[in-house]
Amino acid sequence: MIISVVSGKGGAGKTTIATSLAYILKADYYDLDVDAPNGEYFLQPQDWQSRRVHQLQPVIDKDACTACGLCTHECRFHALYKILDTIYLTDTLCHSCNLCQEVCPEGAISYQQMSIGEVRTGLSERTAARAIIGDLTIGSTRGTALIQDIVRNLDTTTGHVIIDGPPGNSCAAVAAIKPAELVVLVVEPTPFGIHDMLQTMEIVEGMQKPVVVVANKSQDDAPLQAILEKRGYAISASIPLNSDYHRLLLDGEILSQASQHVHDVLQQAISTEVAI
Amino acid sequence: MSIHQVAVMSGKGGAGKTSFTAALLKLFPEVVAVDADVNASNLPILLGPEQLSKADYFGMDVAEIDRQSCSGCGKCVEICAFEAIDHDGEKHFTVNDECEGCAACAWVCPQKVISLVPHCSGRKYVSKIENGFMVHADLVPGEDNSGKLIASIREDARALAEEKQLTSIVIDGPPGTSCQAISSLTGVQLVLAVLEESLSGLSDYKRLAQLLEKFRLPHLVVVNKGGLNAELGARVDAAVIEHGGKIIARIPFDPEIPQSLARRETLLDMPEYRPVVEEVFRQIQA
Repeated sequence: MIISVVSGKGGAGKTTIATSLAYILKADYYDLDVDAPNGEYFLQPQDWQSRRVHQLQPVIDKDACTACGLCTHECRFHALYKILDTIYLTDTLCHSCNLCQEVCPEGAISYQQMSIGEVRTGLSERTAARAIIGDLTIGSTRGTALIQDIVRNLDTTTGHVIIDGPPGNSCAAVAAIKPAELVVLVVEPTPFGIHDMLQTMEIVEGMQKPVVVVANKSQDDAPLQAILEKRGYAISASIPLNSDYHRLLLDGEILSQASQHVHDVLQQAISTEVAI
Repeated sequence: MSIHQVAVMSGKGGAGKTSFTAALLKLFPEVVAVDADVNASNLPILLGPEQLSKADYFGMDVAEIDRQSCSGCGKCVEICAFEAIDHDGEKHFTVNDECEGCAACAWVCPQKVISLVPHCSGRKYVSKIENGFMVHADLVPGEDNSGKLIASIREDARALAEEKQLTSIVIDGPPGTSCQAISSLTGVQLVLAVLEESLSGLSDYKRLAQLLEKFRLPHLVVVNKGGLNAELGARVDAAVIEHGGKIIARIPFDPEIPQSLARRETLLDMPEYRPVVEEVFRQIQA
């Protein structure tokens, strides 16, 4: 089963819960929070192998280009601009859409593979499974493309798969939720956490995915419970805000390995959905 | 008139950007606040602003195929880089949610039956806060173009500051170091990095600092949720020095803080932390 762990709000505890579930299920762990990947600090994988991920991006042949400017007019992302007799590309704005190559009357634009980041795979002794880490090149805006590349290469042949998603509710989150057969929604039951969770819920409901809600860093579940009930959901597990848990995480522990209580409540929460 | 723009960033989500920004903002005599975390917009929750105006945001057009006139040649499918065009199994093509509005399909269509139509991907707001204005937005969940929406509200903030003769803009940034972060950083004079003292927080701070080096942006650091692990604390201090930052404030791990936030208070309402925020305010003005 493919399980995506998402939250909307950053810092709700996606990585804490995702690594804990990977431990409980002895599952492969995919870090798709590609511009802030942190799961490896807890899984401590070894024997790394890595592959670079590329995306086709336009390259302008300066000799063939007559600087007619047609590409700059047609590009809808304003990624191409002309200064004097030279066309420049702002790669952070480019969507690799093929249009400039198509419109160029001189055939001066070609698409070439450019690195956008790497995928590192290691073996975690702690989970007895793999950790696959998406690592976006710093400054790159192609995070969603990197996520999609990793999702295309998901390997479900060895058992369960845990996806640690990115925060937020934009296209990157959608890409991390799309392959899921079960979504674990981690919610900090605070005004911020509930607000952001409701937006994620809209995405998840739109995609008709089954959902398990885990309250994390909880000091009071009641406000969250009330809102979930109205929408036909319940809190499946609640993990309190606890400085002991926080200390364990500072030491790089997987919470479900270090705390039997967390292990049991999380296992219970997913037991109706996942064969363990 | 010169406008001073400060962005509060962190790399890691949940480091405390919004809670710190909300407190900091209240110390400005007059300010324009920007909530640039457009797909998890939380600053309005703390500041309880009075909405002055709202507008639908049309970020990018999307393609629309006139099915009656489509000959079914399939050239649009070939050119589309986003797998955004579906075939209905007979001869018709339709555009799905993946469309990024690049118009490549319209360019190659021999029948010229594809047009680009406006598409609402969010809503922008201008609101009044006690000491100025707040510009914020909600992206429609799941939408693309968050970076563009951020750029758009930042332009609105700048225009508002000029119109009202306000010289300070404070941006509550999104997590990460990708498109949304970059869109929040361009053109600011200073970054205030909120560093959560944890393994993840330290790692994400380093990524943020590398991004800031690319943009040649100076940064000051507020260490948050600290003091529980001396060894990690020492690594945090060393990393900040290594990346050319300067720690100007430290806030400990304190469960009282989220409790106070749940009551929609800020750090200024907690006597022990008020001086910390005041010190940061002084330093970012200097």
